[in-house]
Formats: sequence, structure tokens, C-alpha cells
Amino acid sequence: MDTISPYLPDIWLVIIGTLLLYYVVADGYDLGVGILSLFCRSGQERSIMAGSLKAVWASNQTWLVLLGGMAFGAFPIFYSLLLSSLYVPIVIMLFGLIFRGLAIELSGHDRFKAFWGPAFGLGSLVTALAQGFAAGALFGGLDIVQLRFVGGMWDWLSPFAVLAALTLLACYVMLGANYLILKTEGDLQAGSYRTARRASAATLVLGAAIFVWNVLRFPYIRERWVHPSTLFYVAVFPLLALLAFSLYRRSLSRSDSLAPLLWSALFVVLAFVGLSAGIYPVIIPGITGHITIREASAHPATLAFMLVAVAILFPIILTYNIYNYRVFGGKTREGKYE
Amino acid sequence: MNGFPDTVLLSRLQFAVTIMFHMLWPVVTIGLSLFLVALEALWIRTGDRNYYIHARFWGRLFVLFTALGVVTGIPMEFQFGTNWSVFSVAGGDFFGNVLGFEGAMAFMLEATFLGIMLFGWDRVPKKVHLFATCMVALGASLSAFWILVANSWMQVPAGGHFDNGRFVVTSYREAMFNIDMPWSVTHMWFACLEITAFMVGAVSAWYIYNKKHTAFFLISFKLALLAALVTAPLQVFIGDGLGRSIAEIQPVKLAAMESHWKTNPPGAGAPFLIVAWPDTAARENLWEVSIPGLLSVLTTHTLTGEVKGLRDFPPEDYPPIAVNFYAFRVMVALGTAFVFLMLWTIWKWKRGGLSVDAAPGEKWLLLSWMLAWPASLAAMETGWIVREVGRQPWIIYGVLRTGDAASPIPAGAVTASLAAFIAVYLMLLVVFFVVGRYLIVKGPGLEAEKGGMAETQADSLRQGAA
Repeated sequence: MDTISPYLPDIWLVIIGTLLLYYVVADGYDLGVGILSLFCRSGQERSIMAGSLKAVWASNQTWLVLLGGMAFGAFPIFYSLLLSSLYVPIVIMLFGLIFRGLAIELSGHDRFKAFWGPAFGLGSLVTALAQGFAAGALFGGLDIVQLRFVGGMWDWLSPFAVLAALTLLACYVMLGANYLILKTEGDLQAGSYRTARRASAATLVLGAAIFVWNVLRFPYIRERWVHPSTLFYVAVFPLLALLAFSLYRRSLSRSDSLAPLLWSALFVVLAFVGLSAGIYPVIIPGITGHITIREASAHPATLAFMLVAVAILFPIILTYNIYNYRVFGGKTREGKYE
Repeated sequence: MNGFPDTVLLSRLQFAVTIMFHMLWPVVTIGLSLFLVALEALWIRTGDRNYYIHARFWGRLFVLFTALGVVTGIPMEFQFGTNWSVFSVAGGDFFGNVLGFEGAMAFMLEATFLGIMLFGWDRVPKKVHLFATCMVALGASLSAFWILVANSWMQVPAGGHFDNGRFVVTSYREAMFNIDMPWSVTHMWFACLEITAFMVGAVSAWYIYNKKHTAFFLISFKLALLAALVTAPLQVFIGDGLGRSIAEIQPVKLAAMESHWKTNPPGAGAPFLIVAWPDTAARENLWEVSIPGLLSVLTTHTLTGEVKGLRDFPPEDYPPIAVNFYAFRVMVALGTAFVFLMLWTIWKWKRGGLSVDAAPGEKWLLLSWMLAWPASLAAMETGWIVREVGRQPWIIYGVLRTGDAASPIPAGAVTASLAAFIAVYLMLLVVFFVVGRYLIVKGPGLEAEKGGMAETQADSLRQGAA
């Protein structure tokens, strides 16, 4: 343990990042499907959409719970500063999740039928936007002095956060459309191909804008792009993301069913890693000063103990998640779920 | 943080509202998942289709409880950060860690196998389905274990030391297995079983009372009765153990629970107060009705054992006294009433009152069972009030005061979120009653069974019982 002790915060950053990305991709397609359900032409389409998520949404959402708990344990300062500084968008996200979850779970019931449709769609939309604003506010920098948030309750409502919220929205819609391509057939699938094309173009353009803005905003990130020694390390992931994106577009034009979801997930992961690699070793960019992952992390003994635990648990979690996907593979048709 | 007294109070109110509403649902999913395991196992063993229909029926109610439990559970985990950021930094190394384990070991297991349990009936073999149900039950019980470990550490912050305002863990074993944990985990886990037994019993009693599928619901009523027969008396015993453990680790909490001001002198027993009205300023009760010596007997199991009075402690360390005193009495009275309900039910059963023909006539017994479900929830809530309000003024016992632990956020923001939580949760309550009523009125769908097979088997059961 002693030899890896100095790297524990970095290892945990990778673990937390992995949990975050799993959540963004998995619940991202759930939320994307929810947002797309707002534009449904028929009740039958909407019930296929909600039905396609029934067996997986709870598990997907649990990655957020896992992320919250693990971040709380590994980076207590990050967890508490982030959530208390972004009180308003976080609480709004919680309400969005309440309506979304209840709507998927109870949409089969005859009671409140008129209510579950909008609750599913709007709950997903509100959750996606709140997460986007929160992420934008974090990447844009929080007003923190001596580990205390000194900014206002509405600081998160910045132009940069608007851009981030729109990007995440487009990203979730793209993932949701890809999931519907996989799980549906006929008109709904054909429409999803069109949606995926448009949403992915929007994600690329908006994501690139975020990237450039982020580079221009913080001098320490800017310097990495002009120094040959660091250029490779900050440029490699964005370039790989572009490659994944082009493969994703190719899979769409070839009308593949599973490949678009996988390539787009890879694109999201690489783009996010690219953005984070530029920011590293900062975990909370600040307006007056940054907080690094080392400053925010728990005691090495805690990190080591948790590392052993997750090394045992994660393979088990992945195994039964994969099994669950295998059981519920195939197309969703109305009436399949009770 | 002294500049934000309102934020502290509002954040406490918000936590109280959200946790007290949230816990109503998981307690039933913890118990009901075990009940579903039993039903499925009985179905596979006996081949009796009634058990399968029971599993499907209670499974539909399970969805409702799970949905409410999951959606109200997420705000709990995030509130530590949003509203209690100072606490989160101080305790994060252990407390946050435990929440992480809860997610990785319990919630993920439960949420993933839930899909197969609810929607996989036609997709996996019977035994795989039973396995999935077992995993849901295991995950649910593990979540109770981990959250009690976390809470228990707030009561007894063992296994490490505070360095510069932050807890550093030196022994996970001591922090997890502190002296309070075994009692509180057991008390809560059996509470889940007991409450679920009363929920299943109450719903079954409703059908029997209305003479709907009487034979069918006598099966679940008797299973619930068996579970309650074990858990109700056991809870009294465990509660006694927990109470005596509190006398050792948090004597001021015990004194507040009993509104007990003056330590009894050597050779004299401390009195147990049936009712009283505490006056914190005068440090005595304005009036009281007491049973001499009983508190010593209950707390120390001896006639004259010493029970520390509140006057031995500084007033700034007092928890709210009247709330604790009465919440504790409500819990104890209800817990005792459940034991008498069990005795009454067995007496009726022995006299043939639970046969298919006689059971619908036992109106008062059935009504009592229907009331026992909400009453058991009230017992749980008052028990937690004693535990948590009794922990005040500390958030981490003896180390960090609640007043110093809240996030430095404006009171207006917390007011708005508290109002929104109350409004949304009231709406969820309406959803629960309307959807729950719909599911119960719709019934188990026995009529749809081919050739009334299940009813025929129920008839044979009736003949067997008669």
C-alpha cells in the first residue's frame, strides 16, 4: 500500500470519473428517452419508450447514488462544497428525478394516466438541464475562499452554464435516440436515426464551444496547449473523441442498431476525459483560487480501505449488470411489460 | 456558522421531513422482499399456485413501495452535501465512505435484480427468478445495515480521532462495530419485519373483513401473523437492550427520554414517570405521575440501580426533553399494544376464529390489524425521534454540534426547498393512496385463473382447516 499511497487521490479520481461517466452514459440515455417522449405523436409510442426503460432505469440511476456516496467518502470537501454551492440546481435535479422515476415505475397504472406522460418527459428535461447547469457552474469556476463558498445562490446561472446545459441536453438526446434505435423498430426507429443525426451534430458543435471556452478561460489550461511538452497530453483525448464521433456517424449512416450507442458512448467518454485532462489536477476550478484533488481528498487510510472494497465489489456489480442487460435484450413492444 | 441560525433550523426541519417521509417505504420493501422470497420458495416447493398468485399480487404492491422509496431516497444522500456541508467534511472520511458502501453493496444489487424480479417472470427460469428475488431482499437488508452503521457512528463516533475538525479513521472495525451498532441494527431490522407483517396483515384483513377471497387472504394473514408473533415480543426484548445501552453511552439522552432530573440516591430506586411536564429553566418537572422505583428496574434490572438525572449534566447539552419523553412513551405503548394484539389473535385462532367461515365475523380483531400497520409506522417514527432528537444538540455525538454543522447558505433557499419538498411529498402521498387503493380493489386477479383453479385449491384448504 505504501508505494501506491501518494497516487491514491489520482486513483480515486479515475474511479469517481468512471462512475460519473457510466452514469452520464447510462442514465443519459434514460433521460434522453424521457426528453424525446415529450415529442411523441401517440400514447403508444410513449408507452414503448417508458417500457424500454422499466427494467434498467433504477439500476442506471443507482450509479448516481454510488457516485454521490463514493465522492462523499473519497473527496468529502469536493462533495460538500459542490453540493452546497450549487444548492439550487441540485435541489431542482432531485425533484426532476422524483417525477421521472415515479413516472417510469407507475406509468403502467390506469390511475393518473394523463399525469405520467408529462411527468416522465418534464422530469427528465428538468433533471438534464439542472445537471448541465451544475456541471457548467463547476467547470466555469466556483467562488470559494478558504474552502468556503462565498458566492451567491444564483451564480450558477451564467452564460457558460447555459452553454453547458444545452450541450448536456443535446448529448442526452443523442444517447436516448441511440438507445431507441437499439430497442425499437419501424417508424419510431426510423425517426430515432434522424434525431440521432441532428442531436449528435448539435452535441459536437456545442461541445467544441465548451472546450474552447474552457481553454481560453483559465490561463493554466491555455499554457498546456502552447507548450510542446504538454500539448500531446491535452490534445490526444479530444482527437480520439473526434475519431469516435466520425465512427459513430458512419454507424448511423450504415443503419447499425447497437453500434451507434456504443460509439456515441465512447465519444462522450473521450470528450469528457479530454476536458478533465486539461483541468487536472484541479477538482474545483475557482474564481480566486483552485482546489486540487489532493486538497479535497480523504485521508490515505480511508482511500486505501475504500480501494480494496471497490476492487472486490465492482467486478461483481458489472457482472450482474451485464446479466441484466442480457435478460432484457431485444426490442421493446407495447404490452411486453405488465 | 452562528450567523445562520435560521438556516440550521430550516435544514433540520427539511431533513426531518424528508427522512421521516422516506423511511415509510423502504421499511416495507425490506420486509416485503423477504416475504416474496418465502412465497416464491413455497410455490417452488409445494407447487401450490396460490403462492404464485400471492407473489404476483404482493409484487405489484412492492413496485409502489419501491418507487416511492427510490425517489425519496436520492434526496437523502445529497442533503448531507447541500445542507450539512460542515458535517460532511468533518465526518466524510467514515460517514461518506459508508454511504458509498451502501450504494455499491446494497442499492446496486437491489436495483439491478429488481428488473428481473418484476419483469423477468417469463424471461428466466423459476429458480433464477427466486435467486433474483433473494438478491433484492439481500440488497434491501444490507441497505438497512449500512445506513444504521452510518447513523450509529454519529451516536458513538468510535474508531478514530478528530484532527483539525476532520475525522481520521484508525480502525474501521471499531468505527463500524461500535457498541451501539448491534442493538440499533437489530432493532431496526426487526422493525422492518414487524411493520411489513402488519402491512401484509392489514391488507389481508381488509379482504377478509369484506369477505373477498377470504380463503386466499387467510394464507397471507397467517403468514403475517407468524412473522408478527416472532417479531413483536422480540422487539420488546431488543428495545430493552437498546435502552440499557443508551443509559451507558448517552445517559443524558436516557434522562431526557424519562424526564428524569435528579439522580436517585444510593439505596433508593428511580421512579418511572407515566406522564410529566418538564420545565427546562427550573430543571424539574412542573407535575408528574410516577411509579416508584420502576425506572431503576427497567434501566439497570436492579431495584435501586443508579440512573443519572439531567441535573448532573450542563443545560447546554440537553436535548429537547418533552419531545423525547412523549415520543418514547408513544413508541413503548404501541410496542406493548402489538404484543397484546398477538395474544388476542392467537386466542382467537385457537378458538377457531381464523377459519374461512368464522374469520370475516371477527370484525374488531380485523379492524385492529388494519390499524396496526399505521400504528407500527408511528412506533417507528417516534422511536427515531427519540434516537435523533435525543442526540441533540450534537450532530456527531460529543464532537460537533448541530448548530455548527450546516451549510452556509441563505435561509431563503432552504425555505423554498423545504416548501417544495412538503408540497411534492404530499402529492406522493396522494399517489400512494390512489394507486394503492386501485391495486387493492383490483385484487389478486383470482377470477382470471383458468377454471378457478386457485379458488378450488383454496376450497380444499378450507376443508382441511375446518
